[in-house]
Amino acid sequence: MSVDKSTKAARGTVQCENTNINLLKANDYVADIIKSEMKKNKTLLINVTSSAGSGKTTLMQKTAEKLKDKITMAVMVGDLETERDAERIRETGIQALQIVTGGICHLEAQMVHQVLPEYQLENIDLLFIENVGNLVCPASFDLGEDYRVTLMATTEGDDKPKKYPRMFLTSDLMLVSKSDLLPYLPFSVDAVIKDAKEVNHQIEVMQISALKDEGIDAWCDWLLEKVKQKQNN
Amino acid sequence: MHETSIVNSIMKTLEVEFEEEKLNKMIAIYLKVGKLSNIEPRLLHNAFTAKHYCGTKFHHVKLHIESTEIKIQCESCNHITQIENYKFTCENCHKPSKNLIQGEEMLIHKIEFND
Repeated sequence: MSVDKSTKAARGTVQCENTNINLLKANDYVADIIKSEMKKNKTLLINVTSSAGSGKTTLMQKTAEKLKDKITMAVMVGDLETERDAERIRETGIQALQIVTGGICHLEAQMVHQVLPEYQLENIDLLFIENVGNLVCPASFDLGEDYRVTLMATTEGDDKPKKYPRMFLTSDLMLVSKSDLLPYLPFSVDAVIKDAKEVNHQIEVMQISALKDEGIDAWCDWLLEKVKQKQNN
Repeated sequence: MHETSIVNSIMKTLEVEFEEEKLNKMIAIYLKVGKLSNIEPRLLHNAFTAKHYCGTKFHHVKLHIESTEIKIQCESCNHITQIENYKFTCENCHKPSKNLIQGEEMLIHKIEFND
């Protein structure tokens, strides 16, 4: 059988283009816009991440109670469904808006940017983003935050930093939460700190119990210091 | 779930980067994803295939994914260490380091077009 040479020649050539485009370029572009908005308004932006049920919302409530007379703070909270968390935080008297992701397991910069016009940033010293409870996907998405804070509840077990390394590698502070339960749990604070530091030797660590008001003053002092630095910059 | 977001992001990025005519000639996308990027190649393939069923411009495109190891370069002795067990320490001088030179990336590093 004869081969039609003309069609054969037309197919074989492949043209290559070498690139180095970041897969999350779209996200990071928006994250940069958020960053410059925050810089302009001197608003400290903190991305709070953790597993589901480790106490992020309770910490937001407690922090609001302690700091609302000293600084202006607001919260943006992401969940797959319901407005329950935002309602809980609003009860403390601060502004809190819910982002319902409708099934998406993390917040993306675009979602945060869409909600920003609802906040009067020029009057806000500290804005928290309470991320969706998940130690995997939120780690990859930069939201333009100044600091990333990860809660690690004693009820989760002390083996999490090595299981979810990217989250701990990209966090600035690890809060060991629900510390009031330590006497009842096989959880070693030393072991969790050792693992977290092996992943990220610069990570700061604090121990807190939002429910029993333990370590919360130190956490609030940390925040106030960062707010001050942001405003002097 | 986050693989679907990443596939969307790849498509959006390429649509911005290349003109329609060129996109139609695209036959393969080569990605480089680090072991620290939280991207599971198999799931990304699935998300990419699932997208085809929703009818995208990319139904004729093949996706290739290369997974890269985690490597740090020590700030004190310049030694390059491949990280095992997520222990970010220089194997030469044993100092801790976060100076990642590979393993975090999520890159579209090559695209093939049929001419």
